[in-house]
Amino acid sequence: MKPYRVHLMLCAGTGCVSNKSFRIGEVLQEELHKHGLEDEVGVVLTGCNGFCAQGPVMVTKPDEIFYQLLGVEDIPHLVEEHFLKGRPVERLMFTPHGGETAVPLMGDIPFFSKQRLIALRNRGMIDPERIDEYIARDGYAALVTALTEMTPEQIIQEVKTSGLRGRGGAGFPTGRKWELARSAAGPRKHIVCNADEGDPGAFMDRSIIESDPHSVLEGMIIGAVAIGASEGHVYIRYEYPLARERLIKAIEDAREYGLLGDDILGTGFRFDIAMHRGAGAFVCGEETSLIASIEGRSPEPTVRPPFPAESGIWGEPTNINNVETWVNIPEIIRRGGEWFASIGTEFSKGTKVFSVVGNLKNTGLVEVPMGTTLKEIVYDIGGGIANDRKFKAVQTGGPSGGCILTSVLDLPIDYEKLAEVGSIMGSGGLIVMDENTCMVDVARYFLEFLADESCGKCTACREGVHAMHWIVDRICAGEGADGDIELLEELGSAVKDGSLCGLGATAPNPVMSTIKYFRNEYESHIAHKRCPAAVCKGIASSPCQHTCPLEQDVPCYIGLIAQGKLEQAVEIVRIENPLPSICGRVCSAPCEAKCRSGEGGGDPIAIRSLKRFLADYERANGLELIPEPKPERPEPVAVVGAGPGGLTCAYYLALEGYPVTVFESLPVAGGMLATGIPDYRLPPEVLDYDIQMIRKLGVEIRTNTRVGTDIQLSDLQEAYKAVFIATGAHRGLRLGIEGEDSPQVIDAVDFLRAVNLGRSVEIGDRVAVIGGGDAAVDAARVARRLGKDVKVLYRRTRGEMPAAREEIEELDREGIELQLLAAPVRVLSRNGCLQGIECVKMKLGDIDQSGRRRPVPIEGSEYTVEIDTLIPAIGQQPDVETLGVENGDDGLSLTRWNTITVDTETMYTGMRGIFAGGDVVTGPSTVVQAMAHGKIAARMMHLYIQGQPVRREYRVTRPALDVEVTELTEEEIERLRRPAMPELDVEDRMEDFREVQLGFTAEMALAEAKRCVRCDREALAAR
Amino acid sequence: MPKITPDDLKKIRETMTRTMHLRESDARARVTVHMGTCGISAGARKIMSALMTLVEECDTADVILTTSGCAGLCSREPMMTVELRGAAPVKYVDLDEATTERIFREHVLAGVVVEQHALAVGSERVG
Repeated sequence: MKPYRVHLMLCAGTGCVSNKSFRIGEVLQEELHKHGLEDEVGVVLTGCNGFCAQGPVMVTKPDEIFYQLLGVEDIPHLVEEHFLKGRPVERLMFTPHGGETAVPLMGDIPFFSKQRLIALRNRGMIDPERIDEYIARDGYAALVTALTEMTPEQIIQEVKTSGLRGRGGAGFPTGRKWELARSAAGPRKHIVCNADEGDPGAFMDRSIIESDPHSVLEGMIIGAVAIGASEGHVYIRYEYPLARERLIKAIEDAREYGLLGDDILGTGFRFDIAMHRGAGAFVCGEETSLIASIEGRSPEPTVRPPFPAESGIWGEPTNINNVETWVNIPEIIRRGGEWFASIGTEFSKGTKVFSVVGNLKNTGLVEVPMGTTLKEIVYDIGGGIANDRKFKAVQTGGPSGGCILTSVLDLPIDYEKLAEVGSIMGSGGLIVMDENTCMVDVARYFLEFLADESCGKCTACREGVHAMHWIVDRICAGEGADGDIELLEELGSAVKDGSLCGLGATAPNPVMSTIKYFRNEYESHIAHKRCPAAVCKGIASSPCQHTCPLEQDVPCYIGLIAQGKLEQAVEIVRIENPLPSICGRVCSAPCEAKCRSGEGGGDPIAIRSLKRFLADYERANGLELIPEPKPERPEPVAVVGAGPGGLTCAYYLALEGYPVTVFESLPVAGGMLATGIPDYRLPPEVLDYDIQMIRKLGVEIRTNTRVGTDIQLSDLQEAYKAVFIATGAHRGLRLGIEGEDSPQVIDAVDFLRAVNLGRSVEIGDRVAVIGGGDAAVDAARVARRLGKDVKVLYRRTRGEMPAAREEIEELDREGIELQLLAAPVRVLSRNGCLQGIECVKMKLGDIDQSGRRRPVPIEGSEYTVEIDTLIPAIGQQPDVETLGVENGDDGLSLTRWNTITVDTETMYTGMRGIFAGGDVVTGPSTVVQAMAHGKIAARMMHLYIQGQPVRREYRVTRPALDVEVTELTEEEIERLRRPAMPELDVEDRMEDFREVQLGFTAEMALAEAKRCVRCDREALAAR
Repeated sequence: MPKITPDDLKKIRETMTRTMHLRESDARARVTVHMGTCGISAGARKIMSALMTLVEECDTADVILTTSGCAGLCSREPMMTVELRGAAPVKYVDLDEATTERIFREHVLAGVVVEQHALAVGSERVG
């Protein structure tokens, strides 16, 4: 037979097999046959390739093209194009996230190029079911050396020199372990391969066996030579059928070749291996339990000493190592202990295989040298966090391990360093978690697993882990109580002390380490009934409602829209939100970021646009669906600032029956809504409608009245029973560069205010805006509408701009140039006239703690941008001085950012009767955050005035109504997508300030509302 | 199968050399047959078969046979490119089985360019 010219290394690891790689192999054969290529191109089924997230994967040899996510339907095209015509198919290659061009060669894909393979040296290179292929890659060469050229002592010495430590978790030096077993007395000795891999999320051992079973056998035989063992055992979990089959085949083939059995390789050495199937109990991985299980007893741990080296299987000396430890042995013997010891860190030698899973872009199986940093694994190999979310923590070591914070991203991973930060190496499971992971829920999950897996022998573990699980379960259900955390800590230490084996001794670790690093999340669940990640069902019936600072009953009003009950939907919105027309347009919509419809690559429900649809419906039909206020009360209250925070506070106080007066320094009400946000995003008549509704409740808004000048705060304290300060943050921050005092440098806030109020503002024809936030984008688009040539300069990249995504896209459409990675250095003026701005180009440096690459200036890259006007938009600060108060006045405390300090639960300032909220407290934040402060303050001011304890009451979030789900047809499930917002054509919008976004049509809104998966129903069903 | 000895392991390794060279993408020579529609209709498949037979006959372990698309000179098909490690690639045109065999023996195996059938030395600049 002619040799093949191409080998197709098709992954047949469990992951790819479950995605039909066997079927793909068959279709490949058929198609090759169809083109007469069956003698030229050979299909090789290999073990796990490692890049499981992209499976089924296939690598072509010799040209090394990496194909991924293969489907049966792709094969005919692939065979004809690539294997017949020699044109690799780009569509089936790997394209990095956010990248545009495919990476054809496997070695160029960072996931692979950063790895170093010792344990996985044969993965994807051989057919695991063919012993000759293993032999061809120097398989069993180490065994020949060990049997014919080395004494057992020399083998042990070589392993000791290598510094290899047990890869199963504890990291005990392998050479020492062998030495103990060698020196133990006994006529018969045993070698065991522990393949009872049970950590959730870990699949290192399975993949190794599936891709290279003979390397396990060779390691064990060498171990047998060293120790003088005649009996071998592989203890493998029943849940690993493919790995088991391949190992059985490997053992049979090795026996046939005389590599197992009597007289191995003609040297007279005798050793054979038996297979034992574990039933999948986690405790069986513990060595004394494993021995009990092999002997046919119930898998319960026993007291050590005696250690298995003295008294193991049937009371005879036994040496147990795990799969990954064994496969390192042949390479250590073949290439020398010194070579192995040259890789890794001082006390942790060689490489480590990790199964990297969780919220990463690239998940799979990786092997890296010990000492590789967490950052390299997460960002270079893993590709960073998926879905642009924030990195929160890494869990290592499975149920026995702990969490590592992102603040130690530079941690070189080895046994010691992981222990230093309170975790363990374990067998190599590495679970990456993003901001949408609840750490209490993670602890609950591991406890549930451990409570299930406890063998029941030790009371502390059996009862203690159950009790801990019960407590954490309660906390997750919103029923946590004071003292629960302390009780967990106490129970944890009792379980640790009172358990015989590693399972019990480490069972409290997930709870202990999450309490240690994320105590605030536990406290939040217990005291505030808040699950910050909006995961715990018992607390957060739906993530949108739970995440909204106003606790808008989103699923309820969306459910009503889907049924066409629009008036009722408006009423629901109005209960929690006095400014729906505004939120429907400019809210940052944190709800959408947590929407479950947006998980797994889907589009979140267009919650904001649906709210706008309702608000526009209300306005167009003159519905005025405001709740009925309570009977009038005698106590007058004052609000300083008519922005979203102040207006919301006034609304809720008015509903409570109080006469409210709002003092506003500007000629119009609305604060930043009126003077910061341009009309094309928020038309004045829309804003006025919502404000008018608040006025109708009896709220008096006194414009052109500045507290601190026209009236003193102390006067308000006298005349009103309580005062809410929400004056916002209207003072632009300075750039802090040379020459910025030029009159042609105008801060974005001042510029936008002037334009919004219709005041004249002189700007030149060439404008540069500095910044990447909403104010920068607003200022740029406004200047563009004034007919100017506009550039936006931002020091990081587009993806890191804090402005809303859709706003950034409008920059391109409206012809505004975006210069990224550019930072201003100096403002250039001549004769008092602005000439330009000197900038320096930036490049992305190292990853900082936020997971973003830090921009650093490129030396000598300075360049000049010629402009007439410069608009800095790099942030704002509150202008507290104008209130006429100073730090320390009557209990007032200001921070170094010039914000007012309040009790964050009650918004009370400590000044008699004075509460504060919004940007003046937080610094520049969102509209919805300011509104939430106003709402909370209204409640607290009411309690304060009525002489009741000023205290928050916290409840879990639940929908107000039980709204039926509108069922989707199969056709609708296929067809319905988040609608694109209809917009004004670019040519129609540049002449004036007409609203750009036109709002959903009724048809669009109803269809989009139907798409909601209605998380709230799950909580109702559970009740 | 009788029990094997250390020497047998070596023999198995030798017989598998070609397979492993292919997988390690590590070969002394690479021969690319251009298999665009034009190449196939002009008989490129026969050239590939001839090459595969030659590889088998000569028992060469370090030559990679591969295909690629049209080389852009459709009137001179079938074509192939021979690339020895460390040397510039040479394109051959107007091939038939006999010339292919000659090129294989003289250029691929012995390292001497068959100028009579060579079109050019080198490749176009890419990018």
